Amino acid sequence: MKRSLISAAMIAAGLLFAAPLLLMAIASFKSEAEVLKPTQLLPTEWKLDNYQAVLENSIEAPVLTWFVNSVFVSSATTLLVIAVSSLAAFSFSRLRPSGSGPVLNLVVGAMMVPGQLFLIPVYVLLSRFALIDTPWALILPAAAGGFGVFMLTQFMRSMPVAIEEAALIDGCSLMQMFWRVTLPLSSPAVATLAIFTFIGSWNDYITPMVYMESVRNYTLPVGIALFQSSYSTQYGLTIATSLLSTLPLLILFLIFQKQIIESMTASGLKD
Amino acid sequence: MSWALRRKLVGWACMAPYLAFFLVFIVVPIIVSAWLALVQLDLANVGASRFVGLQNFQDAFADQFFWMAAGATLQYVVLFVPSVIVVGMVLGLGMHAMRRGREAVRALVYLPSMLNVAAAGILWQWFFNNEFGLFNSLLKRAGLPAVPWLTEAALAMPSICLMSLWWTVGGTAVLVLAGLQQIPRMYFEAAALDGATSTGVFRLITLPLLKPVLLFIFVTTTIASFQMFGQAMILTGGGPAFATRGMVQFMYETAFNGFRFGYGASISWLLFAGILAFSLIQARVLRSQMEA
Repeated sequence: MKRSLISAAMIAAGLLFAAPLLLMAIASFKSEAEVLKPTQLLPTEWKLDNYQAVLENSIEAPVLTWFVNSVFVSSATTLLVIAVSSLAAFSFSRLRPSGSGPVLNLVVGAMMVPGQLFLIPVYVLLSRFALIDTPWALILPAAAGGFGVFMLTQFMRSMPVAIEEAALIDGCSLMQMFWRVTLPLSSPAVATLAIFTFIGSWNDYITPMVYMESVRNYTLPVGIALFQSSYSTQYGLTIATSLLSTLPLLILFLIFQKQIIESMTASGLKD
Repeated sequence: MSWALRRKLVGWACMAPYLAFFLVFIVVPIIVSAWLALVQLDLANVGASRFVGLQNFQDAFADQFFWMAAGATLQYVVLFVPSVIVVGMVLGLGMHAMRRGREAVRALVYLPSMLNVAAAGILWQWFFNNEFGLFNSLLKRAGLPAVPWLTEAALAMPSICLMSLWWTVGGTAVLVLAGLQQIPRMYFEAAALDGATSTGVFRLITLPLLKPVLLFIFVTTTIASFQMFGQAMILTGGGPAFATRGMVQFMYETAFNGFRFGYGASISWLLFAGILAFSLIQARVLRSQMEA
């Protein structure tokens, strides 16, 4: 009795949380005049005007270019982070050359330094390397984050070494052992890291805002923020663009909902 | 080559790519930032840079805009952290009590977290708009006066908190739920057999066993809240009258609009100092995980 009441309230709460996204989707098909009447739920006529305007990819607001930039930056960041972190974690958890313990402590200790502190000095370094306003300004610094190394090291340490030892006895080289045994066995943790890194990179706002200068090099979040300030009077258009900027992650979420939520909790609840 | 030596060489070779990134983008920037904080650096005229010692920090303490930014950040932290924990707890406990449909609700609540801050902010700006926003339209329909959500200094930060709550509380709720699911059932069953009241169960079983999760949520949310940036940037631009311009936005504008890199770096060290206590707790939690 009481439980069904709670269930009903929770379903209502869930719908309340999702409702803004639905309103957003509906508004993107409204005419401008109707967007400004938010209490009218559905458009009298479903229009594609906003999407047509978005797809024009104009010089002032090249939404498609931003989309391509976002796809490239997020994919490259994810690949690089996984490559670099999994190799390092393999070393920290399995090969453990003498002296690696303090290094790992340093890496984990540096995770304490809040992200905002890096904004200015990394900008200074990137401009020294002439990387400002290139996608590498967003990709390379991301590979230095300690989270992936920390998480994968944890995971690999928790794996039994027996299979890997057997592979070594069977004549595997150390690198073959990494590639054929350790990495495949770590795939759940690697998948978690990939999901996190991709979402984080896709949604990153402050870094591209600082490190990108030309409008055509923006990623989606910065692009639509610019879009908002230059087309502030056209809500339908900005809302359609915002929705488009979220769409890939929303689709990803619909497919991998369980994995995404579980990997989010796994990283928070390790005890 | 001996096996031990080869293992050692391969070990360092595997670490080398990551360590190169770590050195260039973590270690060196920390040193550069510390150095910047002690110099007067104007990017337009690098040659005129000079060592000024703690001058930048003294300037910050004498700068009313610094204090306004610190005040705005603190206001956000104080408003947001407790709300996100309370609402996250309520949602988590509610989901835990559900017999069916728990996963669907969990997905719905977590869905907004997928949005980037610009999209979420644009959406909520449309809701908050004074004349034709959703909220004021609904208020008008109910015969109530319009609320200046973002245009009145006293209301702007609470409005930003409201948007942030919708945007991120799903993650908190999901963590609370996972924490609750880790508590062995038999504790609750034993308490029920002993005739414990539901408040008693909550106070003596649920809350203590949830403590590690709550500590994790508290520390990470607090650290993130101290660095609030995007929400204010999109919703208010830091206004009205700097009421919502937090430390990160102040640092960002000092460095990248005002080109005062040295002063900007000193602001980020002051913010780090403010976060430090929470970072140290986080480091302890991480270290204990590593030893486990």
